[in-house]
Amino acid sequence: MSEFFDLVMLALLIGMALAVARTRDLLAAVILFSGYSLVMCLLWQHRGAPDVAMTEAAVGAGVTTILFLLAIGRTGRRER
Amino acid sequence: MALAIAAAAVPMLAGVMALPRPGDPAAPVHARVAAHVVAHGAEETGAENLVTAVLLAYRGYDTFGEVTVMFAALAAVMTVLAPRPRERSPEPADGVAISPVVVFVIRLLAPFIAAFAVLVVLRGNVSPGGGFQGGVMLGALLVLLSVVTGRGNERPLLEPRLASWLQAAGPLTFTLVALLGFATAGAVLALPADPAWARGAMLLALELGIGVGTAAIILGLFLQMRGW
Repeated sequence: MSEFFDLVMLALLIGMALAVARTRDLLAAVILFSGYSLVMCLLWQHRGAPDVAMTEAAVGAGVTTILFLLAIGRTGRRER
Repeated sequence: MALAIAAAAVPMLAGVMALPRPGDPAAPVHARVAAHVVAHGAEETGAENLVTAVLLAYRGYDTFGEVTVMFAALAAVMTVLAPRPRERSPEPADGVAISPVVVFVIRLLAPFIAAFAVLVVLRGNVSPGGGFQGGVMLGALLVLLSVVTGRGNERPLLEPRLASWLQAAGPLTFTLVALLGFATAGAVLALPADPAWARGAMLLALELGIGVGTAAIILGLFLQMRGW
């Protein structure tokens, strides 16, 4: 069961990473990247690293998303 | 040129080939370093959470570097994204009002988030968490409050002079503790062995410095990038 959880999470991570790289809509990329961080956070916690999981949730899913959104707001939403 | 790259690559690749297999339990880093930290970390540093023991004591220099990098990042953003005078109105230009539900929920949750962040900072030596994690939570809370109250650089939450000292809190605390370690234990960033409370106090000072510094830096980054 535990390994199954890991495999599902890893598959999600790879899928999201590919989607972030492929999408031309930067807003979608930021939201996907935030989801990537959330899955990564669950994986850290499951692998027994609660300190890193906390950092991933707060920095990866939280603060960097806000900063990316601000950057999009100051530039543009479409990748050229 | 190609010859030089090849000449540099051969010893590097040879070194990589000689590395122990990833995750090999017999590798020196697991057999000696990790084993030592697990066996003696709590008594040598006074921090039951071994992650904190490594971050603040065994690898204090690395953490000092990280704190300095964060401060430098804020300094760089402030230099590159200097606010242009009166180009934007002090209110959001897009005209999308924040939903009253969001405002209510943030105001409702704010004290709980703040209490949790302070707990994470202060209990970093015994439970998961520490200055970075608690500081980021506090910083994110300040960002949320800044969005809800509509306060930014025009009407700052803090005195600008006080804010710049708080943003430098991480490097400043590390410098102070490094000098204290030099005075009491004979080495920079060393923890004195003798009174146990002094080690605890120095670790707590580092956690507080990192926490306050991280929170201030995140709020600073947000305000600087928002530009109003």
